[in-house]
Amino acid sequence: MKGKKARIALGMAICLSASALAGCGAKEGNTEGGSTPESSSAVSGSGTASEGKPVKLTMLGWEIYQQAGMEALAEAYHEEHPNVTIEVQISTWSEYWTKLEAMANSGSLPDIFWMHTNEFSKYADAGMLAELTDLYDEEDKDYFKNNFPDNLVGNFTYDDKIYGIPKDVDTVALVYNKDIFDEAGVAYPDDTWTWDTLVEVSETIKEKTGKYGMLADDTEQEGWLNTIYQAGGFYISEDKTKAGFEDEGTKKGLKEYIGWQTEHDFSPNQKEFSDLGRVERFVAGEGAMMNLGSWGINNLYINYPDLNWDVAVLPKCPDPVKGDGRASISNGLAYATAADNPNLDVVKDVLKFLGTKEAAVIHGENGAAIPAFNNTGDSWANNYEGKNVKAYVDQLEYSVQFPYSKSKSAWYPEVEATLLEVYSGNLDLDKACEQCQQVVDENLAAE
Amino acid sequence: MSKNYKKEALAGFFMALPTIIGLIILNFYPLCRTVYMSFFQSGSFGKWKFVGLDNYTKMFQSSGFWKVTGNTLLFMVYTVPVTVIGGLLIAVLLDQKIKGKTVFRAIYFLPMVVAPAAVAMVWKWLFNTDFGIVNLTLKALHLPSGINWISDPKTALLACALVTIWSSVGYDAILLLSGLQGISRTYYEAARIDGASSFQQFKKITLPLVSPTLFFVLIMRIMASIKVFDIVYMMIEKTNPAIRSCETILYNFYQETFVKNNKGYGASMVVWCVILISIITLIQFIGQKKWVTYDV
Repeated sequence: MKGKKARIALGMAICLSASALAGCGAKEGNTEGGSTPESSSAVSGSGTASEGKPVKLTMLGWEIYQQAGMEALAEAYHEEHPNVTIEVQISTWSEYWTKLEAMANSGSLPDIFWMHTNEFSKYADAGMLAELTDLYDEEDKDYFKNNFPDNLVGNFTYDDKIYGIPKDVDTVALVYNKDIFDEAGVAYPDDTWTWDTLVEVSETIKEKTGKYGMLADDTEQEGWLNTIYQAGGFYISEDKTKAGFEDEGTKKGLKEYIGWQTEHDFSPNQKEFSDLGRVERFVAGEGAMMNLGSWGINNLYINYPDLNWDVAVLPKCPDPVKGDGRASISNGLAYATAADNPNLDVVKDVLKFLGTKEAAVIHGENGAAIPAFNNTGDSWANNYEGKNVKAYVDQLEYSVQFPYSKSKSAWYPEVEATLLEVYSGNLDLDKACEQCQQVVDENLAAE
Repeated sequence: MSKNYKKEALAGFFMALPTIIGLIILNFYPLCRTVYMSFFQSGSFGKWKFVGLDNYTKMFQSSGFWKVTGNTLLFMVYTVPVTVIGGLLIAVLLDQKIKGKTVFRAIYFLPMVVAPAAVAMVWKWLFNTDFGIVNLTLKALHLPSGINWISDPKTALLACALVTIWSSVGYDAILLLSGLQGISRTYYEAARIDGASSFQQFKKITLPLVSPTLFFVLIMRIMASIKVFDIVYMMIEKTNPAIRSCETILYNFYQETFVKNNKGYGASMVVWCVILISIITLIQFIGQKKWVTYDV
């Protein structure tokens, strides 16, 4: 009996120490890849990484359709600098920020990671990101200004310092199913369309084919934000001190977009969208039109080759409160790195490469997204043979920067929930706007 | 105390040590830390500001908070009685001499083994308004169909409750079955000789003798129902118009902590969840004296 107990205890002790050892081993494995301080100083100096010890870097992003593009970039860099290999890891949007924050807290951020406007100021404010303002000083002091749109550089500027290399830019356009238009015998959307045309055609389609005309679900960036700016309203003011929900244009835009679902029967309602989303319904051939961000095009192009779809610019507001009635919400991502990255010199050299025109074209040609570098949009649009994907690039001309503020993660869920009440008919729009205005203003004031 | 006893106690302690260490690291420390965190306002990346009881006063004053507490309690009322009584019924049936008993036991236990995320995904399709098997069956039976199960505020929480009942009733049945099998057959033989009907046997023998297990199952089930998160999170998307009537305490905690980044406020919410569970469990421990039989 006693012998047995002793043996069990011994066994457990062995198990414990074994697992402790395994833990140590894993830790060593993680920091492997040349993150020892020596290896970075070995290649520092000129700022290039063409010589020196082999360095393994990781890049983290969230869009699976961009994996090929990212890997092509990694490969292109590796060819010039054989000692540097970059491993591309793709997470999902819903997990990415939780993951990145945990990594930031434990000091193990990936060497290069994508940054989004929603989260940027939080990271920059905490001093997590490496400053990149003078990255191109040797070539051109105004490199960022000369080669990227101002708003994209501005997105990743904090206290006049640049913390991200603009990666890509996106816009929102109207995607339509040609077969349904043919069936209903109406002309395809073009740049003469206004909101009224959209409503009229959607009603005709619903009447003639029984299919949905417009799939207008409750969504921010691809939905009501566009109509708000088309109508001349604003989401939050440019100095980020005040929300625009009480503005006439904002109300007009919201009313129009929400109305496509609640006032007409050519769109599924929000309950129905909970069963099956906008994109799923579109690819199932249930609806003729939907708004879609340029990042969603790869899904349609790759996964649904039989679907007869095309792209048009968003219809404009016929009688805007101010402006010309045109707008498309646009945002851009950036590559960033951690301020305490042990291989900062190597990583900076990679980032420098990622900000070149050459990298932008590789990025575009591999179908990742519209490159941020000026006038390289066509390299992306040419990937989609027979589709007028260029509409996305054309809209850059009058695109509106996707509004954000430091406390957006706190106020946006409130706005989202309040507008949902409007969709379900529990709240009228004026009251909802009042509530949104209040909650956003409070948060902006506390920033 | 004999030398032998001390030696045995020491051996016992060492054997329990891995579990004790595990509990301290994984349960006890996080618990203390959470309570500590609930007195702070969180900033990004570990910048915290002490605010005393502010999180709690803010919480108790917000109407949304009472709504989620109400939803959670409603969820408890939906799931607990059906699961526990259903579990007992299944256990009694599985305890009979029937063919393929082990197969049935495995079938009833199976939902417990499946990951909750997978369960939710599958049920989401079953509940689909247009193509879901639930509505199609109702239609075939000429019952009211076309119900927006998971997007109608009236039925969404009920739908979540149904899935939870489905996935946990088998587990409770297996626990209760083990309780039933601990009852000596001689009681039933004696009762039959005295001419007791099966219902009388159930009421006078089975129920009192299985009551300690039943009490355990009830406590665990209530705790689990107050802690519900995964099913709601997986089934109800955030653009679902029924979301407000489905948010439970832990769902709201997730929103506050990981979406809105109010980690301090989130911590106070979990503390409230612990308090709520403690109160309900305490009431049960007082109440058990009336119906749980330990001495036979």
